Amino acid sequence: MSAITVLNGGTQTTVQDAGRPGHRHLGIPRSGAADKLSFAIANHLVGNDWDAPALECALGGLHLRFERDSRIALSGAQMWAQINGMNVDLNRALPVEAGDILTLSYARDGCRGYIAVAGGIAATEFLGSVSTYLPAALGGIEGRALKTGDTLDLSADPAGEGRTLPKGYIPFLSGHIVLRARSGPEWDLLSPDSQRYLFTTPFIATPATDRMGSRLRGDRIVTDKKFAMTSSPLLPGTLQCPPDGQPILALADGHCTGGYARGLHVIQADQWLLGQIAPGMKLSFRRCFEEEAPDILQTRNALWSTLIPGFSF
Amino acid sequence: MSAPQPDLQPNIRHYGDHAVLVEWNVDGFDAAVSDQVHALAARLRKTDLFIEVMPGYDSLVASFDGARMSVGAATRKVEDAMVRESRSETAAAGRLVNIPVTYGGADGPDLIAMAEHIGKTPEEVISLHSEPEYRVCMMGFIPGFAFLSEVDPILQHPRHATPRAVVPAGSVGIANWQTGIYGLESPGGWQIIGRTELDMFDATRKKPFLVEAGDRIRFVPK
Repeated sequence: MSAITVLNGGTQTTVQDAGRPGHRHLGIPRSGAADKLSFAIANHLVGNDWDAPALECALGGLHLRFERDSRIALSGAQMWAQINGMNVDLNRALPVEAGDILTLSYARDGCRGYIAVAGGIAATEFLGSVSTYLPAALGGIEGRALKTGDTLDLSADPAGEGRTLPKGYIPFLSGHIVLRARSGPEWDLLSPDSQRYLFTTPFIATPATDRMGSRLRGDRIVTDKKFAMTSSPLLPGTLQCPPDGQPILALADGHCTGGYARGLHVIQADQWLLGQIAPGMKLSFRRCFEEEAPDILQTRNALWSTLIPGFSF
Repeated sequence: MSAPQPDLQPNIRHYGDHAVLVEWNVDGFDAAVSDQVHALAARLRKTDLFIEVMPGYDSLVASFDGARMSVGAATRKVEDAMVRESRSETAAAGRLVNIPVTYGGADGPDLIAMAEHIGKTPEEVISLHSEPEYRVCMMGFIPGFAFLSEVDPILQHPRHATPRAVVPAGSVGIANWQTGIYGLESPGGWQIIGRTELDMFDATRKKPFLVEAGDRIRFVPK
């Protein structure tokens, strides 16, 4: 008997873990939870290791029926969540009984909600990770998003107990995401106006926003002279600047190479926020100086690894 | 082995706070630079300090955990690796992989138009494209896509202004001086002149990737 039946897969729900780093030179992106922090929080609360396979639901609409008694936790995007029609809290371990139905409505703030289940979700492994990568149908449940009628099993027997996080540590998400960034390799080729706009004016995430990337709308970001770039390696968190002036921010499933100027690169400590960019959301970049970045990362890591053993940004 | 020529000395630059870029800056394909890129990639992988080591045509990106080292420290590690590299032998030549290709027809919808445009017959295009041995310079943008070294100058042809919505897996294309093989069905703007039935990428195979960067490829017309 399976543990969970999918009644409605919602906008796009996939199985994700910490991803498969180290294969970009083969064209395989890291994938994994787009918002690593919220994913880790959900797992921690149900008593799992922070990187156990969990469900990532973009924008909402997921309905699940639990087929056996279990424990779940929801974190990430602000979604109305109900069990059997009763509102339940995010960011807290919740007991569920066989027959209980979980429904997630539309995300108000943020983009992706994480649903962790004690024991973790069983899925297909590829290169050491069960993360779903939709373009090549890797990992997850047949490499695709969940759909009505899917049944899910647990990857391990539920062990341990639910946990709590001290008050005040759960990150707030809003409709305006601020990302700290350093200049990218082709920063010097951008026009002076473009360099100023990048750090002073907000952008809007267009509907062309998914796990691969987010196309932004705002002031035109252009290179000073026309230049032809050879296809070159690309990392998640890089803002690419194509000739049409509308930059593209690469996310967890983003292409491993690109042929446009790499204008900015989001710092490691802020990369988890990339997963919470929803279409229509406002987005700003703040300059981070070379000397600041290691301090920000170390402070954040020190705090969160105390709260969630083994976790780092 | 002779010392590297001064114009082959790359720049090492910061790529955000947790990656470095090594950049040679050459026009088109340069075999000596490509050798250096792949030799450096192999050496950096051995250090275990980097998460992603991504060779390109004339550049290399190496990412790392910013909590383990600063971007300044990473730059010094790369410099050290390059000094040692210049004293060692060149990288071993990769495997030679033969790729059977059906040129033209439904498999190569751009062959005839491209041949007309450059004033050659389709047969001449096929023989010019299948004659040289190419090197796999880079993989990506999607799993299994092989970016290969330079085509004959006569064959150099720009991308389509508007990319096709769907290019089938195995399609062999040309974009300016580059030629390449699509690993998966995907949108794409390259001039498609043929297609191979070999699966460049198959997750269910023991070895999912047919080729890796550093391998050599020869196209065999069917």
